[in-house]
Amino acid sequence: MEPGHLLWMLERMRMAYYAEGEVIISPEQGEADRFMVVKQGRVHGEQSVAQATGTDAWLELVEGECFPLGALLANRAVTSVYRAGSDTFCYELAAADFNTLLGMSAAFRDFCTRRIANLLEHSKQLIQAQYTQSSAEQQSLTSPLSAIIRRAPVTCAPDTSVRNALALMREHGIGSMVAVDERRGPLGILTLHDVLERIALPQIDLDQPVIGIMSTQLSALPPQALAHEAALAMARHGFRHVLVVEEGRLVGLVSEKDLFALQRVGLRQIGSAIRNAGSVEVLQLAAADIRRVAHNMMAQGVAPEQLTQFISTFNDLLTARVIELECAASALCDTPLLAGVCWVALGSEGRFEQTLNTDQDNALLFVAPEGMATEQARQQLLPMAERINAALAACGFPLCKGNMMASNPQWCLSLDEWKQLFSGWIMHGTPEALLHASIFFDFRALYGARHLADELRAWLARTAADNPLFLRQMAENALRNRPPLGVVRDFVVGKEHTLDLKVNGITPFVDAARIFSLAAGVAHTSTIQRLRQSAPRLNIQTAEVDAWIDALLFIQVLRLRHHHEAGGCEPGAATLDNLVDPERLSELDRRILKEAFRQARKLQARLAMEHRL
Amino acid sequence: MIGLPGWLARYFDSGVELAPEQRLRLDSWHALPQADLGKPLGSSRCVVVDVEASGLNLLEDRLISIGAVAVDTGRIALGDSFSVVLQQEKASGRDNILLHGIGGSAQIEGVPPAEALLGFLAFLGKDPLVAFHAVFDDTMIRRAIKRYLGFRFKHPWLDLAYAMPGLNPPLAQRLRSLDDWSNHFGIRNDDRHNALADAISTAQLYLVAVAQANRKNIKTYHGMQSLEKMQHWLNSSRT
Repeated sequence: MEPGHLLWMLERMRMAYYAEGEVIISPEQGEADRFMVVKQGRVHGEQSVAQATGTDAWLELVEGECFPLGALLANRAVTSVYRAGSDTFCYELAAADFNTLLGMSAAFRDFCTRRIANLLEHSKQLIQAQYTQSSAEQQSLTSPLSAIIRRAPVTCAPDTSVRNALALMREHGIGSMVAVDERRGPLGILTLHDVLERIALPQIDLDQPVIGIMSTQLSALPPQALAHEAALAMARHGFRHVLVVEEGRLVGLVSEKDLFALQRVGLRQIGSAIRNAGSVEVLQLAAADIRRVAHNMMAQGVAPEQLTQFISTFNDLLTARVIELECAASALCDTPLLAGVCWVALGSEGRFEQTLNTDQDNALLFVAPEGMATEQARQQLLPMAERINAALAACGFPLCKGNMMASNPQWCLSLDEWKQLFSGWIMHGTPEALLHASIFFDFRALYGARHLADELRAWLARTAADNPLFLRQMAENALRNRPPLGVVRDFVVGKEHTLDLKVNGITPFVDAARIFSLAAGVAHTSTIQRLRQSAPRLNIQTAEVDAWIDALLFIQVLRLRHHHEAGGCEPGAATLDNLVDPERLSELDRRILKEAFRQARKLQARLAMEHRL
Repeated sequence: MIGLPGWLARYFDSGVELAPEQRLRLDSWHALPQADLGKPLGSSRCVVVDVEASGLNLLEDRLISIGAVAVDTGRIALGDSFSVVLQQEKASGRDNILLHGIGGSAQIEGVPPAEALLGFLAFLGKDPLVAFHAVFDDTMIRRAIKRYLGFRFKHPWLDLAYAMPGLNPPLAQRLRSLDDWSNHFGIRNDDRHNALADAISTAQLYLVAVAQANRKNIKTYHGMQSLEKMQHWLNSSRT
């Protein structure tokens, strides 16, 4: 940091003392108002959730460390209670001065971003811990509501003032309040979601009776009703809460959040619906369900790794069922030909990285049975492939614009033909060959004779690793796509002031991982697994790989959130794009995104070094 | 000419020559309203001070430097600080220089005393003072002001050397010096005997004192002074 800026900061800093055990800053205090550096002493950050006790500190800050950066950068309240672990002196800088300093000093900005990258790692671990915990506690959507209700509902009289009702909600830490009459019959509900629109924006008088601003259209179910009925009721009416009412009396409240924990086991129902589907029409409904659940998961902030895994799993299931149905329809069932056919997923589907707006990318790989010519086999398979492509399109997977589909005779090939084709690409390394390689080399078996795909993969791993020139050409090609960071570490945006999260953000990782995996002979096709498994063979530090993966996942989160916000829940909402205006991101997201792009740049530097570029 | 009564003559004819502009600044300092010592500590300003002198003799040694930092609304305001080296007619002795590190030439090149003291007063305003062993700081400043500005500086002081034992009776036997107390509360000072660094250490100790006093329901500067007085009384009755 420049001495001038340092002095500027010091002149504005104040020193505060906190006795051992004293709360320094907590979520209740609202938007973080100051930047703090521990001068001496220790500060503990504790989760402020209900279960946290005074002793289970999860974060300890010592001399020279600063906090709460995340809250300051995002202009929000802290999420943890920060408490002095011993007699502590902190330097404090007012939030306004902190922001001025960020604008002034590149070094300070850089420091804050890097610190956040570390914190990100920390919060990720926390989310994962919670995730595993909640899966253990999962129940099925077939549980009765009486088993899901967590506690007696907090209620108020209808003539309670809005102010008192809100105070009660805050005191109990609840998201909704139900007004009941003397016999505990529910009259209306107020949720935190209503606060903005019904209270804050119209600036209503807080002393008026709360019933006046409550929604009185209530959705009620008896305690013996099942969880999935509540889920359906919510889906049908767009409510976030369902009241549980027994003989006219309110006995509980089930929220969307309560049900979410149940949904992943409930996904079994969607799964079995797919497996037992008798027609494409039924599968269309299931496809819509998958999209809806995916959007719910996104709304709930499920990690991208799990989300794309979920999407891949169900899309695979659905594709497999489509193929089964079409095979049956094409009278190829139980023929020797079909025993030697493998349906292959390519591109992002091959990498298990589909999102909701992914085109079809697929191919057929076969070995003609004894006594049948390859061409003859192909002619029999193509009509079936065409029907499968059409059925998948009907289920909401748009046809590939580049016609990279199994119904294209070019991509319906025997094992030997594929080997020849791949050999040609590897030998010649033309721009077209490199482009094709980037899609086809991500192939994986989705249905049918998997051993054929395994054989092709093993052959490719050997052949590619023996051709350093080809890998070098691929690397050269990949390095043409640079992460959009300017020399002053600001974003380089196009004329539209947007960044393409897919092309500029994700592709550099995907491309590099593909080349690493080919060089290291790793068979896996997912980008994360490719990076993880290639690293030891290429002598890349684990910490380095972890940083790359974190960065990739963060960009993926932004991209999914962007899709989610664009609201494409309808099948075939192909208008979803990956263009994001960095100016419209929150300060925190923007900084992390920059850090993520910086990681992409490091990854590319490593790739360049590996291939002497 | 009829002579003025002695005490009045001392007041008017102090034998000090101030430039008209300096006189004006001094007058405007005198005109400032007195601080309200009954205001809550959390919402008022006080100034923590430390001085370095040519020795420890209250009657003979000279003031060499003043370091001061403001504590405002319960926080040490690092930007609101003051530090000055007074110009000396001759540098202090070698041992003394080794102690505070202000070399002979720095002493001779310092700020002319009247100017340095006017600067200090402007920084101080009428806000109350805090020091550790305040008698020393008070005497040194009072003598310098008398000599160079020609008036009797009478200002409220709080002495942490008494307030801290008053707040921590069990520790009082063990902890005596500023270093003792600082070490106990983990207050580090990388530049001991630099007046400003010492003032900041003292200010940190003062923040601890304020927090402790708050827990005993002592919430004003005045309340802290009463505590200090009580400790004086306790000490003298013990001996």
